[in-house]
Amino acid sequence: MPRKGARESKTTKGDDAASPRVDALKPTLELARSIYDQLDAGEIPRMRLPLRTKQNIQFQMREGVWKLGRALGTRSARKLDGALMLLRTFYLVDFINEMAKEGKTSTLRELYYISEGWEEGKFHSEDESNLLIEDLEVLCERLREDFRVHPEENGASVIGDLTIRETNRKGMVKKINCRDDVGDGGYAIPFNVEKEKIEFVSSGAKFVIAIECGGMVDRLAENGFDEDHKAILLHLKGQPARSTRRFLKRLNEELKLPVVVFTDGDPWSFRIFASVAYGAIKTAHISQYLATPQAEFLGVTASDIENYKLPSDNLTDQDVRALQAELTDPRFKTAEWRSEIELMLKNGKKAEQQSLAKYGLNYVTDTYLPEKLAEMGVG
Amino acid sequence: MPPAKSLAQQLAAKQREISVAEFFERNRQILGFDNPLRALLTTVKEAVDNCLDACEEAQVLPDIKVEISKEGVDRLRVAVEDNGPGVLKREIPNVFGRLLYGSRFHANRQSRGQQGIGISAAVLYAGLTTARPAKVTSKVAEEEAAHVVELLIDTQKNLPRVVSEDLVLWDRPSGTRIELVLKAKYQRGRQSPFDYLKGTAIVNPHARFTLVEPDGTRVTYERASTEVPPVPKEVAPHPYGLELGELAYRLKATNQPTILELLQKELAGVSPRAAREILDRAGLPGKTKPAEVHGEPLEKLLAAMHEVPLVAPTSECLSPIGPMLIKRGLRNVLGEVRPEFYAPPVSRPPKVRGGFPFLVEVGLVYGGALPADQPIQLLRFANRVPLLFQQGACAVTNAVQNLDWRRYGLDQKGGQGLPSGPCLLLVHVASTKIPFTSEAKEAIAEDPEIDKEITLALQAAARHLRTHISRRTRRDLAGEKFAIILKILPKLAEKTSSLVHKPVPDLTPVITRIMDVVNVETTVAPVGDTIRAGTDVTNYTPRARVLEVFVEMPPELLPKAQHRPAPEGTDTELGRAWWTLEKLPPSGKVSIEVTFPKGTEVEASDLSWYIAGVDEAHLLGAEPLPGDWDVRLPRAVIEAAEAGLEPLPGTEEAEVDYDAAEGSARVEDDEG
Repeated sequence: MPRKGARESKTTKGDDAASPRVDALKPTLELARSIYDQLDAGEIPRMRLPLRTKQNIQFQMREGVWKLGRALGTRSARKLDGALMLLRTFYLVDFINEMAKEGKTSTLRELYYISEGWEEGKFHSEDESNLLIEDLEVLCERLREDFRVHPEENGASVIGDLTIRETNRKGMVKKINCRDDVGDGGYAIPFNVEKEKIEFVSSGAKFVIAIECGGMVDRLAENGFDEDHKAILLHLKGQPARSTRRFLKRLNEELKLPVVVFTDGDPWSFRIFASVAYGAIKTAHISQYLATPQAEFLGVTASDIENYKLPSDNLTDQDVRALQAELTDPRFKTAEWRSEIELMLKNGKKAEQQSLAKYGLNYVTDTYLPEKLAEMGVG
Repeated sequence: MPPAKSLAQQLAAKQREISVAEFFERNRQILGFDNPLRALLTTVKEAVDNCLDACEEAQVLPDIKVEISKEGVDRLRVAVEDNGPGVLKREIPNVFGRLLYGSRFHANRQSRGQQGIGISAAVLYAGLTTARPAKVTSKVAEEEAAHVVELLIDTQKNLPRVVSEDLVLWDRPSGTRIELVLKAKYQRGRQSPFDYLKGTAIVNPHARFTLVEPDGTRVTYERASTEVPPVPKEVAPHPYGLELGELAYRLKATNQPTILELLQKELAGVSPRAAREILDRAGLPGKTKPAEVHGEPLEKLLAAMHEVPLVAPTSECLSPIGPMLIKRGLRNVLGEVRPEFYAPPVSRPPKVRGGFPFLVEVGLVYGGALPADQPIQLLRFANRVPLLFQQGACAVTNAVQNLDWRRYGLDQKGGQGLPSGPCLLLVHVASTKIPFTSEAKEAIAEDPEIDKEITLALQAAARHLRTHISRRTRRDLAGEKFAIILKILPKLAEKTSSLVHKPVPDLTPVITRIMDVVNVETTVAPVGDTIRAGTDVTNYTPRARVLEVFVEMPPELLPKAQHRPAPEGTDTELGRAWWTLEKLPPSGKVSIEVTFPKGTEVEASDLSWYIAGVDEAHLLGAEPLPGDWDVRLPRAVIEAAEAGLEPLPGTEEAEVDYDAAEGSARVEDDEG
């Protein structure tokens, strides 16, 4: 299953789009050579890699996203943790090179279980294997799909007037309208949303509304919001997967559709927006590929909770700590976000987006969204 | 205003004898009977203290049994039994049924109880709360049968009232058992009889304790020592510690014909010259009869006594537990938590405070199953009695809290307060007069001299702790390094080599760079007809080394030992043998064997290994050569050791460890 497009977006468009697949794995073998050479020279083997810490992400003016800075960390066999990670890295490199030979791919979860046979190198949790794959992405400047490793389908969906052309697993090309050709569940976003898999044909929509909860997507669909307001409803399903963010970015870039983000009004939802718009710290090395800097936060805002007198809950200690952490997060360093976070801390309240049902089932589509969209000048 | 006469009459009308019962009611708190939990503890404590004192006086190894059982809703039956000398029948009512009756009140020596209020207060409390008499069974060695006496305290007269008397056969040669039924409550945990007995067992390793709890659980602390501690000697009081009332009592009670003789014979530290100087200052003729001194002359006499320089009081009257028994006691009681480290206990030399000698002892235990994330456990003892209440008000606690334990390897917020960590601390203060904060004797009062001694003892124990923790850290680090070089590095080499299609390189240089220690591993095991103590010295450092290896053993063992290879030299007087290891290359290993004939009593800990030619930071499993050994090292060893101080080329600059970086992607909650 060739996926050239994955690289296209990272480098200047088209310049090596036609490189053969093996090239994707070349950097992994270069890593092996570097460690071998160090061992051969009697040096304690080590790697240098950019620190993926909050302190080491920087705003890239040109691309409008948060990317990794220049601070480097060392992974050295001098320490037990470092030695283990080095060993795992090359079990992983070996594994993906073997997969390439056999023409196989693996899910992230399968990879975690594959490590059962790696003895000392066995992962203790799926987090560890996911992080190592990300490390390898950073080190090799490739995407995990290049390593033939992908997440499970995550089931985030799209409803609205958007026509795409998708090449399915059997190689057949299907033309699908995400409003007319799909059931109530909408069009499910696959893990691969690159051009060789999905092409945007046309759309009658004026904007995209990305929504945190499935219940709210259903409410808007049932109320005909997509048709009445010429909107594409995109279900984020909590913290959005890479493919969902990538899909959203392509809608924004290729179809020039404005994106608004509609979530619950709590600190965790603020982070959902941040990862959509500015990128996540974990994936800061591929922010330019995933983030939609033009995306705007619609609500629920801390002031919405007051203005619309929404049913609310008190912030928990964890919520408060999350908000305080956001105050030091460079992605929230704008005056607007600062005042929003401070207001929420001051009021001590959070609210779910579905709390708008207090005023009836049509209130969100008839009153709240039109008011907010008008404020933002969207739609 | 009413006339004075009328007031006096009013007051006189109100005056009547306050009964003992009323006194007790008013002073429940200080006597330790203010709630059912505490009443039980006080009862057990007073009874057990009596048992220990009785056994000590008779110089027998105590075997003490405490049985607590339910007796109705809020009542418990408490029976405490010992194998002491027993109490004569005619003395039983006085010992158990009269408050303020005792032989130790004026004795100037270290003792557990002092006021003689103890056990009779429990008898009184039992009578007041349940109206049940105390049942005392006692047998003295000379008699065939034991006497059983049931008695109550007449609260009006403060006199014992015997309810019944009987004779029974008892299989013990001698001993005393007291049974009380009282309003009380049993609960394990802090400030419980369980905790009290545990603490008592630690500081009385020569005693055997059995506790039967109300649910039938039986806890036994076997004795860990068969040495009976000597009875603390009674010594004459020292004038510096005398107060007016006490002095007046002694002047009245003495048999000495003159004040001069009294000063010299019945007080400590008073030389003939000092006695005369005291009398000169007080303006008293030496021939004055003691009983005639009262009023102003008495006060002058006391003032003079406090002014004249005297010989310091002796400390013979103190009975320290001693380092060896502290360790045994702790080991015996804490066995199940398997502590990894017992610091050598500290027993400070006696000091004097006022006219009273005192001394401080400290034991420290670390690791094992002791909870690591909680405040340390502090066990306080005064004259071998555990202090279970008023921890916050105690001078011991303050001294512990004022020490900066962070320097010694424990966590402590801001370097003040009770430190936390898997640590247990025992502090024992022994004195002929311990300044308690109150009559309940639950906390030691602040005193600059006692505080200083406690602090010095704590520091000494804490230094051992620091050494232990830093050694352990080094050992853990070495353990990690062994895991790297033995398990991970070979596989990493194999994987990368196969990925680049090359043969696996020689890993020796990398291994020695990672380890960077000279490792010494010793074993003692029977081999055939012999016992073999072997030691492997491996040079896991990146450079060749010349090393000098020493073994030291009890001198009587050395002649029995066969060495292979033959040692460079031996010293039979000191029990030492040594070898020079010439040019041990990186990863090079040398084995040295010391073999003993079968049946030799030798353990790994009998042999100490020392190495010269490498500094402590790069040495594992052996000690560097002690500084006070007067040994001339071969020139090559010295030169090689000096060369080893230069840093190797290519030493890495400080770098951020990627896998330990704070706030890394690992801790973020964003999804990929």
